[in-house]
Amino acid sequence: MTVPALRHERTFVERLYLPEIVKGLYITLRHALKNLFEQDLPTIEYPDVRKPMPERYKGAHRLTTRPDGKVKCVACMCCAQVCPAKCITIQAGEDPNDPIEKYPVEFQIDMLRCIYCGYCVEACPKDAIRMDTGIYEINAFTRQDMVHNKAYMTDLMDGHKPLAETFYRQQAGSAPKGYDTDEQRVLPVDGSRGL
Amino acid sequence: MPIVKINGVEIEVPAGTNMIDAAAKAGFDIPHYCYHPHLSIAGNCRMCTCEIEAGGRGLEIACNMQARDGLAIRTDSPQVKAVRRNVMEFLLKNHPLDCPICDQSGECRLQDYYMEHGQYESRLADPKVGKHKRMDIGDHLVLDAERCIACSRCVRFGDEVTGTGELRLFNRTDHTEIGIFPGERISHAYQGNLADICPVGAITSKDFRFEKRVWYLDETDSVCTGCATGCNIRVCHQQGQVFRYMPRRNDAVNKSWMCDHGRLGWQDIASLRRVLRARIDGKQAELSEGIRAAAAALRGVDASSVAFVLGTRATNEANWALWKVARANLPQAGVYWCQGNDPGAWSQVDDLLMDADKNPNRAGARALADHDAAIGDGTDLAHAVREGKVRMLVVLHDDVLGRLEDAAEGVAVLHLGSQRNTTADKARIVLPATHPTEQDGTFTNRAGRVQRIRRALPAAGDALPDWQLVELLGAALGKGPGARDAATAFKLLAGEVKAFAGMTYKDLGGGGLPLRQPEPLPSPPPAQPAAP
Repeated sequence: MTVPALRHERTFVERLYLPEIVKGLYITLRHALKNLFEQDLPTIEYPDVRKPMPERYKGAHRLTTRPDGKVKCVACMCCAQVCPAKCITIQAGEDPNDPIEKYPVEFQIDMLRCIYCGYCVEACPKDAIRMDTGIYEINAFTRQDMVHNKAYMTDLMDGHKPLAETFYRQQAGSAPKGYDTDEQRVLPVDGSRGL
Repeated sequence: MPIVKINGVEIEVPAGTNMIDAAAKAGFDIPHYCYHPHLSIAGNCRMCTCEIEAGGRGLEIACNMQARDGLAIRTDSPQVKAVRRNVMEFLLKNHPLDCPICDQSGECRLQDYYMEHGQYESRLADPKVGKHKRMDIGDHLVLDAERCIACSRCVRFGDEVTGTGELRLFNRTDHTEIGIFPGERISHAYQGNLADICPVGAITSKDFRFEKRVWYLDETDSVCTGCATGCNIRVCHQQGQVFRYMPRRNDAVNKSWMCDHGRLGWQDIASLRRVLRARIDGKQAELSEGIRAAAAALRGVDASSVAFVLGTRATNEANWALWKVARANLPQAGVYWCQGNDPGAWSQVDDLLMDADKNPNRAGARALADHDAAIGDGTDLAHAVREGKVRMLVVLHDDVLGRLEDAAEGVAVLHLGSQRNTTADKARIVLPATHPTEQDGTFTNRAGRVQRIRRALPAAGDALPDWQLVELLGAALGKGPGARDAATAFKLLAGEVKAFAGMTYKDLGGGGLPLRQPEPLPSPPPAQPAAP
């Protein structure tokens, strides 16, 4: 069934052409002036400013720690089992001095395969893995560097550092031209140094 | 034979059968912890409680109920279900629920039965009773007394199978815990079985500890190659890597047990002693080059000075193929089978499972020798070598030079094998064969039972299955036995050798078949009944 389009019959003033041109220019100018003087803008000057992510945003994974600094993870493999992308690799080991006998010697997530479904967080019986870092800039220059390891994911606990900063600092001199690794330029994720 | 009725299904079972087995035969699974088919009845877990409909009254445990005429039981009545729930509640009362770090998790009866029969809200108000954790009770075992449900299987194993009796139940009521006497340590050679029969995670294996979650493992039925007993095993592997061997029930061979040496047999697979590439005069070569060189070397010498030695570590198919290759291409060549152990073989022996003969297929090689009277034994071979009649030896797996000691100096050797040994090191040409876990085939155990091995892993390096390597060698010489795969090789073998007459891989199934003309092996050792 075809529906006839509603056509707007142009009035006489509209048909004069010039008044409509002036009207359009006025709207443009009005917005330009508003943007010039008003501070509350939805646009964010990324990457100088970063938007605070919602609390439940699923960003890069981190491994939580116990008060004594050891990871909470006991290498039960529940996350690796439930992961639909099969991107989690854990090597379990025994800690002879710990009443919790089992711990992960290595814990790797291949971020290229991860689909950010969050099942690993749900499956964890120990609240050992979380995706609450708010980090969405997950990038690297080699496939190998896209595999996050235990040391890296444990460090993410402290201060929620943006991934790129940590990455470039680890690999001094490898930053591409134009990407400033100077610490002063790196802004906290909550965008507190915004306009 | 008495006829019993289970959930309304009538079934005839031999007199004396307990009702768990009878129900299994009728297709009903009765949950149980303490009952084990190869241990005595303890009747202390109460999980197998069933309701008697006729031929008695009330509730009774199925493991201690023997089949008798007129007996009718019900395994799924509301009363039975209530009993199981309550039993589960008691068993789990002091259980630590540390499934995330427990190696049994995934094959744990507490987990399985809770999902099936338990599923209650916890009513626990008091703290759980703490017990000993992570006790070092043996070279291969770890004991966690908190996880124990006091089924006493391990106690009975120590009392009835090994006769060593180290484990006991100490204390009373919910303080009951399994343990060993102070200063004692389990030292027998069957420790792994304790971890197997433990229905929960109380006794776990040190060798498998935290290696892998069990649900990742694929299982392939095979046979242990550690000695001539031929215990049935399951090879547990994932992505081409073996993590453990587990015994597989075969009442005619090993019941449910296996020794710790055999259990660790998988460590050979990826060992540094593996032969992975062909070698000619000490230099690595392509496999095809190696086979061509081997054929050229065999053609280059006088056929009557060549000796083919059937392997007591090689499959029946490969031995048959080697014999065929020898007969078809070099009819004047001698064929021998060489008994005895390789130097350096493990030496433990007992009357339970560990045989003095450490080769998995001595009886198979002997069956071939019985078929063709021209096949000489090790003494004939030693004679021929000492007299200088042998200029070239073709050896399948066995360390023949090691067994003959210095007699074979100056003899050119062609070795087809998977492991390095004296023979392989001294050989002119070495061709890589696969480990038994990497090929299909059959072994004949000390009692003359032909049993299947199945391929669980891809072949390492350039290695080929025993029979295929021999087949290619035969083809290079002019005439191979003509088998396309292991099953065809076995079919051809069965068609030719009377002892194997009519057998196929399908017939052998999981448990194997005895040789058609079972010939008792000469001592040592005298043929033993397979298991205690």
